[in-house]
Amino acid sequence: MIVKTFHKETKELLRDGRAKATFIIVLLLLSVAVWISHTKYKNANTEYEVAKQNEREVWDNQDAKNPHSAAHYGTYAFKPKYPLSLLDKGVDKYVGTSIFLEAHNRNEALYSAAADQTGISRFGELTPDFILLFIMPLLVILLCYNIFTKEKELGTFFLLKSTGASVTNLTLGKWLSVFTPVFLSVTILFLISGFMLSSLKDYGVFSWTPLLSMWGVYILYYIVFINIVMLISYVSKRSGISLVISLSVWIIACLGAPKVASTLAEDKNPYPTRQEFEAMIVKGKKEGLDGHNPWSKEAKLLEKQVLEEHGVDSLHQLPFNFDAYRMQKGEEHQAEVYFKHYKQLKEQYYKQTKTYKSLAVVSPFLPTRFLSMAIAQTDYATHWDFSDAAENYRIKSQKFLNDNFAENAAYGEWSYKADASTWTDLPVFEYNPPVLSAILKGNRSYLIILGFWTLLSFGTLFLITKLK
Amino acid sequence: MFKYNFRYELKLLIRSKWIQLLSILLLLLFSFAAFNGQQKVEKRNLDIAEMKQQIEESDASMLKLLDSVESGMQVSVPRWTIPNSPMAVGNYYPRIAEMRASALTFVATGQSDLYTHYIKPTVASDDFELNFTEMTSPTQLLFGSFDLAFVIVYLLPLIIIAFSYNVLSYERESGSLRLLASQPISLKHWVLQKLGLRFFWLLLMVIVILITVFIAMGKISEINVTGYAYFFGIILVYMLFWFAIAFLVNIFGKNSANNAVSLLGLWVVFVLLMPSGLNQIGNALYPIPSRNIMINKMRITKSEATKKQNEILDNFLRDHPEYAINDPKQSRSFWHGYMASKQLIKQELEPIVATYDEQLRKQQRWLDKLKWVSPAIVVQESLNKMAGTSTADYENFRKQVIDFAVIWREHFMPFLYNNQPFSKQDYTDLPKFQYEQKTLEIRESILVVSAISLGLLSFGFLMSKVRVSAFS
Repeated sequence: MIVKTFHKETKELLRDGRAKATFIIVLLLLSVAVWISHTKYKNANTEYEVAKQNEREVWDNQDAKNPHSAAHYGTYAFKPKYPLSLLDKGVDKYVGTSIFLEAHNRNEALYSAAADQTGISRFGELTPDFILLFIMPLLVILLCYNIFTKEKELGTFFLLKSTGASVTNLTLGKWLSVFTPVFLSVTILFLISGFMLSSLKDYGVFSWTPLLSMWGVYILYYIVFINIVMLISYVSKRSGISLVISLSVWIIACLGAPKVASTLAEDKNPYPTRQEFEAMIVKGKKEGLDGHNPWSKEAKLLEKQVLEEHGVDSLHQLPFNFDAYRMQKGEEHQAEVYFKHYKQLKEQYYKQTKTYKSLAVVSPFLPTRFLSMAIAQTDYATHWDFSDAAENYRIKSQKFLNDNFAENAAYGEWSYKADASTWTDLPVFEYNPPVLSAILKGNRSYLIILGFWTLLSFGTLFLITKLK
Repeated sequence: MFKYNFRYELKLLIRSKWIQLLSILLLLLFSFAAFNGQQKVEKRNLDIAEMKQQIEESDASMLKLLDSVESGMQVSVPRWTIPNSPMAVGNYYPRIAEMRASALTFVATGQSDLYTHYIKPTVASDDFELNFTEMTSPTQLLFGSFDLAFVIVYLLPLIIIAFSYNVLSYERESGSLRLLASQPISLKHWVLQKLGLRFFWLLLMVIVILITVFIAMGKISEINVTGYAYFFGIILVYMLFWFAIAFLVNIFGKNSANNAVSLLGLWVVFVLLMPSGLNQIGNALYPIPSRNIMINKMRITKSEATKKQNEILDNFLRDHPEYAINDPKQSRSFWHGYMASKQLIKQELEPIVATYDEQLRKQQRWLDKLKWVSPAIVVQESLNKMAGTSTADYENFRKQVIDFAVIWREHFMPFLYNNQPFSKQDYTDLPKFQYEQKTLEIRESILVVSAISLGLLSFGFLMSKVRVSAFS
């Protein structure tokens, strides 16, 4: 019975011009989107390599100068693109790609692509994730909104029942007939993307496991949608009504829920404005040691402490340059201030994430959205990770420069110039994003919610078809 | 027949549970959306007010410090922040350049979550380095806000579709079409009348509900007559467009399910695919050059300028002899060289920065021509313009702030190069920022969308031949 139903439904689907046309259009759109992303990804990667190299050259080729001047001159950390961003761009467009690393200041990533686009970009972009997340569920609805209602409308439902066929088998057959085309097209798309990515020259970071995980997430997402729409079709009397209800579910899950979630998250745990945040930092910095100000209360205190520690009575007698030492201490204080305020910001972010998680229970779209961009390393968590790594590197390079100043110059010797060869000794900034296992662990709850949705929708579908 | 139709339709609507459900749904959606928008506006105004308060406090302390310094007393602040130095005033006592919300801002979030609404340019800050983006969670930017514009652009068409997809097909399916055909009215007239009446009732409902929400929010008196006219005008033509589409589908379509699928397909095309497709093509036609490469160029220019700072100052003074002559002491600090080299860097980098603006302008111009293919884009843009949250508004704000940053810097240059200290009397002369909102014209949008809708309606009316039988 299962096989027969499957055959019959597939045949019907193949004969249905509308379904075929829509299917082909969606696949075409998807291919175009992947192709555009592919070209963009290649360009972005080349630009990233060029920018990184040029910046390092600029840093390495500095003349002999005071290490603190070099610290103010600073350097840039550029955010790389990861292979799976080809499929899911996530929040990439809304975060900056370069962070200026300088003395005394932790800077935010600059130049988000969204700020370089027109207002229309807020409608969304024709990217693979847009099609996978929004349009494919619509296709699922189109394929199965009338899967049961058509039998009711034509009167064949009772005929089928009278043959003694089990409704569960019938449902299973129908389910397979919808699932197979969706499964095949998504699988083929992921395979093509995988081959595209592995054929790139610098594909060193690409591996098949994350791609496979992402594929799994989307398959689960479509299973949930198929189950829900089939269930609606089963309980509806007419195809029109089934379609309207299925669409309402789509609107609530894919359009409404994310917007409501973001609105609630922002209302409950708002971020400070940029100016407020900066003002808090300035205030925090003022409350401690400023490396540039030898006359402040804190500087005098430090002076006393260091003199006592080394058992000498003049700064000139110290075995290192006290100016540089104070500079480093000031740097440490400022780093602490940043750490504190960024921690507060991160807490807001965690709380916002909680709101998203609690709303993910209402919509299968949300866990899929978050899992997909997490696996693609284009989510907000990856951006935080990058920004923290850049800050750690900044702190280390400040120490490297201040130590050079402290060890090689006498107290008061502001005219000291470090050799031009010093700059190449600073290690290069290397960023390693979190690995897949860590990502999946961090997004455990979304996995559980999606699994829960799958089981619940399967259970309800087969239970209802059995009972009713 | 019209009178009969009108009465029948009214009765049908009033007795239908759907319509009651729909009004509640609309009321809920509109209230939630308007309330969210209003909260954002309040937060924005509060943030600006707080920042102004802070500026007032810091000004008061500046005047106090100046008092002390002018009467020869010692002050306990780091010496480079003492406000008798003009550079200290320019850097540590900046003015606020703010963009306040207008009466209709709560209608559309637009780009307001992406950009900041106040900024404090200092003399040392570079114009092109002023960061105009706001610290918003990118997840929030990705998902967007639940605002009135979202309800109007995305959800209202769906409500119209649910309301009108089966006007004719239902009669056909329930067998009453043959009866109807025996009436002295042509079927397309009948469909048009019926849809027209539904349009009228839905429009009335939307207006009444929106006005109720406005009254509840205390907004009603803040908005002026033109504001109302444009706001309801754009909603009206957008609804008319979707009713026109529904009319076409109804008279050309076959059965209800088919109609619903076609209408939803059109919704996906107009609201989702066209905007994202156009955006993609615009980006491909006028790509924005890499910002990372721009950073490289800036760095190289800057490092060269820093090396030649003293030379640059000499050249600068040669070009501005008034500064060299007026100052008998001719003493030169770090700031003299720095400000002079800054000007040079700015001149050299301007062409690089300008390419970004130029590409974006080209994209915008291209979109302005093509946006008419989807009324959803036009309506979203018009609502953003009305709210003062469109890209053009923030571009306008950015320009005004950058102009102000130049005025602010220039104000201190005579002090700096004439080595003249800043005194208490100079306080009142400090330049102030005043944002001027440009009124963006949306009349054209209303006219064009209504012309498109009427065109569609008359096309359907002239071209169709509604038949009674489903199989003919």
